[in-house]
Amino acid sequence: MTDSDSRWRALLHRIVYASAFERMVISLAALVLSILVGGVLILVSGRLTTCPTAATTYLGVGFCYDPITVFDRLFFGALGDPMNPLFKPFAGEFAAPFRAGWSPFNAEMAVTLRETTVLIFTGLSVAVAFRADVFNIGTQGQLVVGAITSAVSLTALGPVAPSGIAGSLVLIPAGLLAGAIAGGLYGAIPGALKAYADANEVITTIMLNFVAAKVALFLVSGPLQRADSQIAQTEPIPAAASIPSVLFDARTGFSLVALAVAVCTALACYYLLNHTTLGYELRTSGLQAAAARYAGVKTDRTIVGSLVLSGALGGLGGAIYVMMIVGDFQTGVPSYGFDGITVAILAGSNPLGVLLAAPLFGIIQSGSIVIDTTTNVPPQLVDVLRGLIVLFVAMPEFFRQFGRRFFDDDGGEIDG
Amino acid sequence: MTTAVQLDGITKRFPGVLANDDVDLTVEQGTVHALLGENGAGKTTLMNILYGLYEPTDGRIVVDGDERSFESPRAAIDAGIGMIHQHFMLVDPMTVAENVTLGAEPRKWGGLAVDADAAVRDVAALSEQYGLDVDPTAPIETLSVGVQQRTEILKALYRGAEVLILDEPTAVLTPQEVEELLSIFEQLTDQGKTIIFITHKLGEAMAAADDITVLRDGQTIGSIAAADTSREALAEMMVGREVLLEIERPPVERGSTLLTVERVSTPSQRGVPAVSDVSFSAHAGEIFGIAGVDGNGQRELIELLTGLSTPASGSIVFDGEVITHTSRRDRIERGIAYVPEDRHAQGLVMPFDLVENGLLGNQRTSSFTDTGRIDWDACHEHASSIIEEYDVRPPNPSASAESLSGGNQQKFIVGRELARDPALLIATHPTRGVDIGSTEFIHEQLLALREAGVAVILVSSKLDEVRGLSDRMAVMHDGTFVDTVDPDAVTEEELGLLMAGEQPARGEQQ
Repeated sequence: MTDSDSRWRALLHRIVYASAFERMVISLAALVLSILVGGVLILVSGRLTTCPTAATTYLGVGFCYDPITVFDRLFFGALGDPMNPLFKPFAGEFAAPFRAGWSPFNAEMAVTLRETTVLIFTGLSVAVAFRADVFNIGTQGQLVVGAITSAVSLTALGPVAPSGIAGSLVLIPAGLLAGAIAGGLYGAIPGALKAYADANEVITTIMLNFVAAKVALFLVSGPLQRADSQIAQTEPIPAAASIPSVLFDARTGFSLVALAVAVCTALACYYLLNHTTLGYELRTSGLQAAAARYAGVKTDRTIVGSLVLSGALGGLGGAIYVMMIVGDFQTGVPSYGFDGITVAILAGSNPLGVLLAAPLFGIIQSGSIVIDTTTNVPPQLVDVLRGLIVLFVAMPEFFRQFGRRFFDDDGGEIDG
Repeated sequence: MTTAVQLDGITKRFPGVLANDDVDLTVEQGTVHALLGENGAGKTTLMNILYGLYEPTDGRIVVDGDERSFESPRAAIDAGIGMIHQHFMLVDPMTVAENVTLGAEPRKWGGLAVDADAAVRDVAALSEQYGLDVDPTAPIETLSVGVQQRTEILKALYRGAEVLILDEPTAVLTPQEVEELLSIFEQLTDQGKTIIFITHKLGEAMAAADDITVLRDGQTIGSIAAADTSREALAEMMVGREVLLEIERPPVERGSTLLTVERVSTPSQRGVPAVSDVSFSAHAGEIFGIAGVDGNGQRELIELLTGLSTPASGSIVFDGEVITHTSRRDRIERGIAYVPEDRHAQGLVMPFDLVENGLLGNQRTSSFTDTGRIDWDACHEHASSIIEEYDVRPPNPSASAESLSGGNQQKFIVGRELARDPALLIATHPTRGVDIGSTEFIHEQLLALREAGVAVILVSSKLDEVRGLSDRMAVMHDGTFVDTVDPDAVTEEELGLLMAGEQPARGEQQ
């Protein structure tokens, strides 16, 4: 073993066995680092473009894009600009920290929380499967199946449901249930294939994503297409099935009720994993299948069960997407399922970690819309900046999870 | 006498572990030197440093009077040092001669082609010279483990090794093969070669070595001539306290039949029967031993008994009920406890703490769960009581299983399985890789169970252990019980023959 080898090993060991506090510090440091790298990138591309007036000047050189503005828009823009411009603690001016007239219930904040809500569901979906050592790439497909099933069943239930509040009390749970069941059943397919036919779930779930997207496209542009519509969408869901927005403007497509449901789901997942026999068996199978079999766990059932649960969470996300955001099912569902993979990795596959990781992605999502509308920075560059943040923040956690396997193989023992 | 190898103040630090701490070792030329110590004492690390696999953090290596620093095994081989690892590095379909000369083949036609005849001739001559008795033209896959090991020795000699390092050479051998190996040691040293072998077996070190160096916790405890010491003294040096080596098995009244296994067979993955037509019974208050060289169907047989697999034919009756095809969970609930062979993969979930590991197998037992909800307080109490009763160190229920030493891991598993209050305990290699102190403790626990009227099935590849503890003992070879013998009456030679699958001439037919 050479010296540089053992140095890398020591570094990896450090990351794998970092404490919870150290991991948070590492994540924050990664975030700062990604902003610094992103800032340099903004300056460089600002030099490579031409513009009538420079956005900023450093050391006498003019740049077309200002990194400080970009990242200010990305983070503070996503929250609706809460900071008071007169609040400068470093310059010794302590005005009221929050801007007068800033309300937490603004439109940008609504977009941030709306994205966060759906990402909590997809993040949980991937995280729960990951704890059972199942890599579910199929959350996107499960979300699509859940969304379309939820939309179709709500449209069908609409005429027979009571009106008003009573209707909401019946329809909203029914819509969520329909989404969860459909997503769960769709997750059962790769589960059964893995447990009983030894088919790699990464391959099957990716393939099933395409199946879900294409079948949904066929349905909404054919048999289920809205009667008078030119585009591929279903009939709208009944008004009583829309999840009511509380405190926020209804047009923002965000509901605090849905966010509360998401947070409760995360807490329930945490409880399930850490305080129930089912969760214990799932975690045991995920860490060491041989030990699970030794303990009398039927590991094939655990695999199917974890994918059903994972699919149900994805399907729930789909139902929320329909009932909170779009009001029907249409093609072009955003890539919530794939973003959920990054959320889960960043969260260390911990349901409570998902509650911290999802808002970061919500902010980035919402903030990039703000950058688009308020600066001349091209959207492609914003995508690169988002990618940088995700890459930097998720990498240490990625190394932590995969590095663990490396140390497991070698064992801790020096003497054989 | 000249000094062949001298290691001075060798220190090797791994991230978070001090594997060797200022270790000294002096090996005289033409002698057999045993490096004795418990698992994790740093023996293999020290030899890997001498062989150029690791670079020492600190210290001096002197070979034949010259200070050396080996950057790779190749440099060590060039300096006349050869190492035979626990896991052989041979190409199975190739012949002995091809394996021995691999990478250093004799050439002909101006170096354009391998001279296969010369290779066979050279290897035959070498084998003859040191009395190794290996056929150079035999493919490796047709050879017994003992002959494969001798091929490894030939490989080292062919490359000009003057000092041979063997890592736990006897672990895979039958008693006869061990005898043969020791006589090969003699022939080698007679012709001026030097041998260093790593072992944790006291008897072997005493029988084979001229000098013994004991390591403990990465430090040299002392070097002594084998003639000037005793097993007891060596054990004390290894463990750091006095150890009871002899197993005392008090007489116990044998109880009723608890387990009856009737002609079970199971195919292995390659289609050859892994377990073939095995029948036996185990009684309350009895330890039934299963001896044999590893890999002769013991694992597969135990999986049938514990419910991890089901037999293709035959039946298993436990406590009057047929359990041939019942699940693993059913066996747990019937009171069959199981100390598994592989504690790292099966017996413990390594990243879990001891509280969670104490629940392993109990996760559906009513004293720890209430309609699917785990009572972590009860689990914590359970783990703490195992830790206290079985002296698991560190005494911290929140420590992860992977942070414990092998002996403490094993004590925790034994404690957890015995806490089930079993009617039948199946223990496979319960002391493998466990230090002498913990071994003594685990043996006491097994004997206490026997006295309490529990049936115990013990699988072990350690002959002393299985003979000392068992009331009756079966010898397994190639998936069958060759014979069931009285461990107190059978001789070592007879056992060796039985383990090789041969029936000794005692008048009993196969």
